Amino acid sequence: MNNTAAKDISISNEDFQKFREYFYRKTGIWFDESKRYFVDKRLAERITATRTDNFRSYFTMLRFQASGDELQKLINSMTVNETYFFREEYQLQCMVNSVLPEITEKKLDRSPIRIWSVPSSSGEEPYSIAIYLLEHWEGINYWDVEIISSDIDTNMLHCARKGLYSHRSVQYLPAHILHKYFRNTDEGYQICDELRDVIEFTRVNVFDPLETKRYRNFDIVFCRNLLIYFDDMSRRQAAENLYDAMKPGGFIFLGHSESMSRISPLFKVRKFSEAVVYQKPLYTEARR
Amino acid sequence: MGFVKKQKDRRIEQNERSYQRNCDGFKLQLNDPDPAVRRWAARDIIQCPDASTALLERLEKEETVEVRQAIFTSLINIGDSVAVAGLVECLRSEDAALRNEAIEAMKQLPEEVSPVIRELLNDDDPDVRIFAVNILEALKHPDVEKWLMEVLETDSHVNVCATALDLLAEVGTEKSLTSLNYLKARFSSEPYIQFAVNVAIERITNE
Repeated sequence: MNNTAAKDISISNEDFQKFREYFYRKTGIWFDESKRYFVDKRLAERITATRTDNFRSYFTMLRFQASGDELQKLINSMTVNETYFFREEYQLQCMVNSVLPEITEKKLDRSPIRIWSVPSSSGEEPYSIAIYLLEHWEGINYWDVEIISSDIDTNMLHCARKGLYSHRSVQYLPAHILHKYFRNTDEGYQICDELRDVIEFTRVNVFDPLETKRYRNFDIVFCRNLLIYFDDMSRRQAAENLYDAMKPGGFIFLGHSESMSRISPLFKVRKFSEAVVYQKPLYTEARR
Repeated sequence: MGFVKKQKDRRIEQNERSYQRNCDGFKLQLNDPDPAVRRWAARDIIQCPDASTALLERLEKEETVEVRQAIFTSLINIGDSVAVAGLVECLRSEDAALRNEAIEAMKQLPEEVSPVIRELLNDDDPDVRIFAVNILEALKHPDVEKWLMEVLETDSHVNVCATALDLLAEVGTEKSLTSLNYLKARFSSEPYIQFAVNVAIERITNE
């Protein structure tokens, strides 16, 4: 049995190349050279945790382990999950003031409004959406809303379902919101059960067309600060998968530094007073 | 009204697709009048034998953006020799959008496209040679600089050379200085080439 400390494990250039190609094939996430320190550190941590002693043994185990448990743990450690409540609030304002009125006007069948928040991270985004709808959208009294939130990281999904947050996560919430929807406990701020009961958390890899195939008919998608981690091909594939998950006329919000126009011609750019949003065209449009 | 509570049996998918989900079905659905059906077929056919052939046949007549996008994404994912040959053929199309989509797709296939790059760079049609240089612009392949140097040294068409020169100014190293000077001598009466070579040399030597 070995007890090599993470700091004593070295990852060679060749190891790094081999690993990043494998990880890319599995997740669509590409680590460039600037992420080298981050990747090395997390690989060393997993090598230590699994007591495999060195990269070679660890990599063999990773590739051939039938259960895939270690790959999932590695994915969990390699994904970045920092977020907070009401992040990029102008997009939430855009949702209630501009996007939802347009959706409800065209929704003649009065079917539930379906919202997909991906990646869920530890749940701040989907809970923020729910709170925003309750606080700022009168339509919540007249329409059914389904919120589904997904992530590739199962640890994050566990945290999201639990709904327990640090002060840092809730720091931008107005006091009355914090008081209304959270309980201050010894462990942190616990989101109320009413909200925990309405958000469905699921595991999905947005880059994988087989996994996303069952996600359909969403009116609104939030996919913020995820595509920046993908390379061109994975971004293209993810955009296609998101497109197929949306209803015609549905809207997708990306992070402020992301642009769908640079990824795919499938979506229309919609410039609202609060934010730029991308829309799946209502009708199929011929090119010529 | 309000939020729909989560339920153990809640289905994430709302609608069932009622079409035949097998290879024969996908091939038929690629020609369905409904673009949504064609798009799903283009996505799902990827696991089937001869998928590239079926996709390329559809691509020739497909006019809908979202179906064409799905076809190109599937061709990239398959990336076999049939898919690459089909993408090469698109470069000869009169349809500028189709050509651009093919160039974008080929940029995603460095290993698969590299065996045909030299052939494209020697094509009789100077436009195809320019498109080949456009592909090199984003092709992550170690021979890109070498191929560009060959263009500078051998291509007779000034526009092809100018396109390669612009790219070499961005990606070239000191290895390409001889080729750059050779190009300058070959096209001594072309002011743009004289100017652009000087800019490229300056950029490379200053780095």
